[in-house]
Amino acid sequence: MTKFRVVHYINQFFGQIGGEEKADVPPEKRQGPVGPGLALSAAFKDEAEIVATIICGDSYFNENMDSATETIIKMVKEEKPDLFIAGPAFNAGRYGVAAGAIASAVKEQLNIPSFTGMYEENPGADMYKQNVYIIQTGNSAAKMRKAIPPMAALALKLLKGEPIGSAAQEGYIPTGVRKNLFEEKRGSARAVDMLLKKLAGEPFETEYPMPTFDRVAPQPAVKDLAHANIALVTSGGIVPKGNPDHIESSSASHYGEYSIAEFDDLTAADHETAHGGYDPVYANEDPDRVLPVDVLRDMEKEGIIGKLNEFFYTTVGNGTAVANAKKFAEEIAQKLKMQNVDAVILTST
Amino acid sequence: MKLQLGYIDIRDIKFDKNPRIENGVLYVDPDALIASVLQDELIKNAHLEIAKPGESVRITPVKDVIEPRVKVEGRGGVFPGMVAKVDTVGSGKTYVLRGMAVVTCGKICGFQEGIIDMSGPGADYTPFSKLNNLCLVIEPQEGVKQHEYEHACRMAGLNMAAAIAELARELTPDETKDFETLTVKEGMEKYPDLPRVAYVQMLQSQGLLHDTYVYGVDAKRTLPTLISPTETMDGAIVSGNCVSACDKNTTYHHENNPVVADLFEQHGKTLNFVGMIITNENVYLADKQRSSDHTAELAEYLSLDGAVISQEGFGNPDTDLIMNCVKIEDKGIKTVIITDEYAGQDGKSQSLADADPKANACVTGGNANMVIRLPKMDKVIGTLDYVNVIAGAHEGSLQPDGSIEAELQVITGATNELGFNKLSAR
Amino acid sequence: MHKWIITNNPLVRDKLNESIDVDYRPCSYLELLQAARDEIHEGAVLLTHPLSGSVKPGETPYKSIMLAGGKRSFSGTGAGSSKALKTDFASVELIESAVETCQKFLQHARWPEPEKLSEQVHRDFQVVDYTLIISAFPSAGISRD
Repeated sequence: MTKFRVVHYINQFFGQIGGEEKADVPPEKRQGPVGPGLALSAAFKDEAEIVATIICGDSYFNENMDSATETIIKMVKEEKPDLFIAGPAFNAGRYGVAAGAIASAVKEQLNIPSFTGMYEENPGADMYKQNVYIIQTGNSAAKMRKAIPPMAALALKLLKGEPIGSAAQEGYIPTGVRKNLFEEKRGSARAVDMLLKKLAGEPFETEYPMPTFDRVAPQPAVKDLAHANIALVTSGGIVPKGNPDHIESSSASHYGEYSIAEFDDLTAADHETAHGGYDPVYANEDPDRVLPVDVLRDMEKEGIIGKLNEFFYTTVGNGTAVANAKKFAEEIAQKLKMQNVDAVILTST
Repeated sequence: MKLQLGYIDIRDIKFDKNPRIENGVLYVDPDALIASVLQDELIKNAHLEIAKPGESVRITPVKDVIEPRVKVEGRGGVFPGMVAKVDTVGSGKTYVLRGMAVVTCGKICGFQEGIIDMSGPGADYTPFSKLNNLCLVIEPQEGVKQHEYEHACRMAGLNMAAAIAELARELTPDETKDFETLTVKEGMEKYPDLPRVAYVQMLQSQGLLHDTYVYGVDAKRTLPTLISPTETMDGAIVSGNCVSACDKNTTYHHENNPVVADLFEQHGKTLNFVGMIITNENVYLADKQRSSDHTAELAEYLSLDGAVISQEGFGNPDTDLIMNCVKIEDKGIKTVIITDEYAGQDGKSQSLADADPKANACVTGGNANMVIRLPKMDKVIGTLDYVNVIAGAHEGSLQPDGSIEAELQVITGATNELGFNKLSAR
Repeated sequence: MHKWIITNNPLVRDKLNESIDVDYRPCSYLELLQAARDEIHEGAVLLTHPLSGSVKPGETPYKSIMLAGGKRSFSGTGAGSSKALKTDFASVELIESAVETCQKFLQHARWPEPEKLSEQVHRDFQVVDYTLIISAFPSAGISRD
């Protein structure tokens, strides 16, 4: 029996090339399985084999998405595989985005089954779960052993063209894509069952989870704007020229705090954006377009606002994990309070 | 209130000059039945056809589906305020012609949907493919106003069902079932430890072709009220809803309300089925406010622990559904809602037009936008006018082999929001 | 407060303009929702649900919505024009979500373009929209003679 052919994609770390310092290596292809591919291969038993492994640096992929995708697609195509697997990426943000992007691109362009695996809070999960199956994994590589069996099982099902069950059955992150199915019981009986569980305080599973919005009740309006200290906070990535703290262009791991005491107007000579998720030309040309220091200085002079706070806070919202964003916000809020800021203008892109 | 349903199984329907029910076969005289339909001068033409499960038959456009029932003991008559005079029903004895339905088909408006396929893939999605259907095909006089014609069709179907059911009056049922709703006090005493559960049924009430009648009264002119669940079994609620085939409740659905049946199933075992609150889905926003406030108030008044809330329709009713759910939950009463979805053909869009995190227990009748291919049928009962309209919508929707590609929403009862079907979505 | 109807349905314009102030806009369903949204942002309050009816956007071309107040109430009479306009956020949320839902349906429109529908189908759609809006009249306290 001939084995199914599988191509596997991993990053520089799992490809044993190196850590962050090697994140800019371009894609390369090796024959056979590498790193986690060995465990996957073993789990396939004799039914499938990893014929090639493509390794690419996370930064390289994210900064050169179009060309990297093109190169990798070509590499995959040469192998004539029956299936493509990327990752698992666990909670590594840029790896997750790369794995989701390349798995989606292979599925669309080469029309072969393709999937990946990662932690549910990895920003890549939200971005690509509608496009490809993403097996839910733990949040670090220590959970590799648990990630392999469901990935191998899904791989074999996809290879054999077997029907894929629900997210809970197969272990993938719910896709948000609604699929019709016939249940054992009619809807009214399911409703009564669900109500009995809800009444008894037992766990129950809704058939349609309501879309959730993390709503924040707005603060009361600022009463005395003319004496208020107003601060600027942005996820649009405006930083002093040269990006001194190296805020990442995507999946930022930190934020910056910078003084604008010296500035009445931001210009291309002194500021720029670190953001990698939008065309930076206009933001770089005049950074006030994202961080409106100029108009706030005018308002300050005209007495409309009391003053513009000395420091502004900035990060890159592009693919940044919700957990990270929350952590940044908590710290920033503390700092703003200590500076007696009355109100904040949040700008994005 | 106590009602016994006696089921008389109908396994076949035949035309015969001598109308009767014999050995599970219903014999009807088409000439006599049609003659009485034509007494309504708004109806120009009418004829009867029979469709049986498994046949290569497509019925379209379906207006209503009605199960013939007759009251043999107790107060009032079936379809009170419509066919029988107004009198409280829901007690005594009622006979049901099980396994069949009267299906009214007729073009009320030029865009009307509603397909029942008796075989093939479409048949899996409609409960009515499993019934022996006596189809009443009606054509109006020229120039008749839609609302007058809707009324004429509605009454023709109800009257015919009632006339046929009369044939069962002297028969012995194949099976009987008892249903009883206790008074508040009796229920409290009899089942002190069981959770108190009611059913909140939202009735379509937006205007012409979107109406529901309760004891003959247009539901949009009502405030939420309590009724005994057995009243629905005697046809106290009747459909005047002609659009959105997949999630409109036909009169058959109301007579056989599955939430009522399944709550009765658990009554006295795991819960105490206290009763039923009916409310409406008006277009006027202040009406929504009033109706949902009042519904929640009635739920509290009944000292409920839980409620099942069912919906009818999409868009405007989504707002009523969420308002009812949230206000009842806010009273500390646990809810489960039943709805259906319009998540797009690819299933990727937002399913409902309204949402709230408090609606955390939801049963769905499926995504109505799902595309299904319906093969050509040997026979069409009704008219393919409508099908031709949608067939023209997309190039390729009408296949060379005569099959059509359509969304599930054209199929009568496919994504029913009373939870009548096994279809769901994830 | 001044009650009025914004509609793209000529039947509503012709049959109701004696009973209520009708703002007729010959435009698409989506454009009508957007026009209502603009009015709401300028102070009008929704009185009827913008997604009334089971005939979905992308099927019927017609939509009528009853509003109260807003800038239309000030034109002509001049009454209250000095009063600052306040936006009703419940109305904003409802109309915005209706616009979104409408756009979703238009993506997968399965009906012919309005201009390809027969005159009879147009007429029927107009009648249904008309009956949906008049179903609000008793509640709105508007009599129809």
